[in-house]
Order: sequence, then structure tokens, then C-alpha cells
Amino acid sequence: MCFLNFSRQFLSQILQHNIIQGYTGVVRGACLISKARRSTQFLCRGYTCLSSQQSFLHLSTFQNCMGRYFFSELHRKDTISQWNSTEKSRTQQDGYEIESDSSHRKLQEKFNIDVLVSLLRQENAADICVIKVPEDIQYADYFIVVSGSSTRHLRAMALYAIKVYKYMKKDCEPNAKIEGQDAEDWMCIDFGSMVVHFMLPETRGVYELEKLWTLRSFDEKLSNIPVETLPEDFIYAADFNVTK
Amino acid sequence: MVLISRSFTGFLTQLSSLTHHNAFSVSAAAAAIQKMTRVRVVDNSPQGTTPWHRAPRVIHVYTKNGVGKVGDRVLLAIKGGKKKALIVGHKMPGERMNPRFDSNNVVLIEDNGNPTGTRIKVPLPTHLRKMEGEYSKLLAIASRFV
Repeated sequence: MCFLNFSRQFLSQILQHNIIQGYTGVVRGACLISKARRSTQFLCRGYTCLSSQQSFLHLSTFQNCMGRYFFSELHRKDTISQWNSTEKSRTQQDGYEIESDSSHRKLQEKFNIDVLVSLLRQENAADICVIKVPEDIQYADYFIVVSGSSTRHLRAMALYAIKVYKYMKKDCEPNAKIEGQDAEDWMCIDFGSMVVHFMLPETRGVYELEKLWTLRSFDEKLSNIPVETLPEDFIYAADFNVTK
Repeated sequence: MVLISRSFTGFLTQLSSLTHHNAFSVSAAAAAIQKMTRVRVVDNSPQGTTPWHRAPRVIHVYTKNGVGKVGDRVLLAIKGGKKKALIVGHKMPGERMNPRFDSNNVVLIEDNGNPTGTRIKVPLPTHLRKMEGEYSKLLAIASRFV
């Protein structure tokens, strides 16, 4: 269990740094939803919202943990309650609402990260990994990787996410479509500010997207790509007179 | 390979004086990517990175006209076999505010759309995200955007 302590230490460091503003709302959302759904015996899995760190103080511990997919083992109800106590002291976030099924709430709620993660949990998604993408990479705000137990499970999760998005979006927002419909191990949806990837655990191990998106240029697979060198007899075109 | 042949692009008549003279004619970038263009594979897949005596060539472009632009799928003849690929940059200038690359870059793809390699070191254009098609997987394994 030194593994759990390792990861707890790492997470407490993340919490102290207060990297993500919306993180407080997100973690509290996890706790509130677990209380609401306890009656239905819903197994709540927490998730870490990681951000791409510019200073790699925790690099070694992180790389240690990453290789073993510690997320699902890490998050038990005791750790969630520990976070709950640390987060209660922080100020209330305005406009935060628990997801409810009543239709009159539709116009007030936005399909944001909290809604998406709660619906993924509802679908029994395994190993939810939410990564906050920094502003310099103008791709998305959040990058989410999720595992499923089978192709059918992935497809069901993706279709449910699309359904909820369609229900909650305003008419001015574009539709989201599922990419990789005919692929059996990897599907993804681009929601504009968020991108979700549904993969099977084997595929996840092959591509290791979390590693790439957290350690941006420090990723080991990237550094293993050999540097391209010019051959010895290469002649630069500008050195020659071009006659046509 | 591709780099040697790239060096010949642009000059025609001086070739006879050089010892490594090749008997093909080259022209400037005419119509993006079409059949028989040699391309540069930019991901870290084993098929794309191991050396071969012939550069990978396009043998079919999956568009209505035979011209491939960024985001089009093509069929490559690579290492004695056929492989589908996706164009991620070409030498021909496109729209004004879109990047133009110095080489015709291509990423290998499976039949179901999954990329064959796991990382792309070369910068990818960001307008891929707005285009119609399934490019999120490539953007997920890319390291730089341009």
C-alpha cells in the first residue's frame, strides 16, 4: 500500500498548488453526487483532474504511478471524504448545480465538465482521466480518457454522452459526432471545449495518451523517435542555379 | 530516399554533371498530392520509419478528383505493401492563413481509422480540427500544432 501513500502525497501536492479553478466544484460535485446516489448503491469513483505541469517536480513519482494505472485503485470512499474536508473551507462557486433529471432545469445548465464526468460515472466507466490542457495549446480545455469493458460498452457510453449533449445544448452550439464509429477499440467525441476518448484498456496501454498530454514534450515515446538527419550526399537546393 | 529526392526538386538541367544523377524529371509543386507522389511518413510507426530502397508513393487518392489536400485519405505503396494514410500537410499553398509545409507529410492509418503509429513529432495544422472528418485521433497523438 506504499503505492497509495505515494499517490496520496502526489495528489495533496496538486491540491496545494491549486492549479485548476474549477477543481473545487468538480471534487465537491463528486462528493455531493455520491451522497445523492448512495441509496441506489452506486459505486462512486473519484477522478484526478491533472494539469500539464510546466515544472516537473513530481515527474518521477508521476511516471512511477502512471505505468500502473493507479486511478481506479486510488479512489475509494475514504479518500473522497478526505478531499471533502479539505475543500469545505474553500469559497462557494457560483452557479454550480447538481445534475438533475427535471426538464425545466435544461436551460439553466450548461454541458460542462462536471456534467460529463458524472454521466461517465453513471455509465460505469473505468479509469476516468481528466487532464486540463494549458492555454498555450489551443486545442481544448479538458482532455478526457475513459476505459470501457467492451466495444458495446464504449459505444453505449458514447451514444449516451451525445444524447445528453443534444438535450442540454443551446441551438447555437454545433452538433457533436462520434468519431471512430467503425473502430472497435477507440472512439472519440469532440465537444468543442472538451474532448473525450473512449478506449479499451489494451488500446489505452498502446497509445498512452495521458502520458503525452501531461508530460507534453517530456514524453518518453516522443524522445525515442530518432532525430532525422540529412544524408551525406544531400545538396541544398538553394546552392544550385536553377535553369528551366 | 525521400530526402535525397527532395534535394533534386527545383533543378533540372544540371543533373548530368553530378555523380548521383537520377533519371527522373521533377517539377515544382503542381497540384498537392496525387498518384505517384512520394510522401514523407511522419509518425513513429515501424512501417514508416524503417528504411527501404524506394520512397513511399501514393497510388490512389480517395477523393472525387484525384487531388489530395490536407485531411484526405490516400493509399500508399510502402515497403512492398499497401497502406492507407492521411495527408497532414503538403507543399502546395492552400488558404491564406493556413500553414504550408516544406514536405508532403502523411500519417499511416488503419482501415478502421486508428493511427498506426503512437506519436507524431512533426507539427500538425490546427485547421484539421474544424474540417469534416475523423481527425481527433491524430490530434490526440500529436505533439505540436501549427
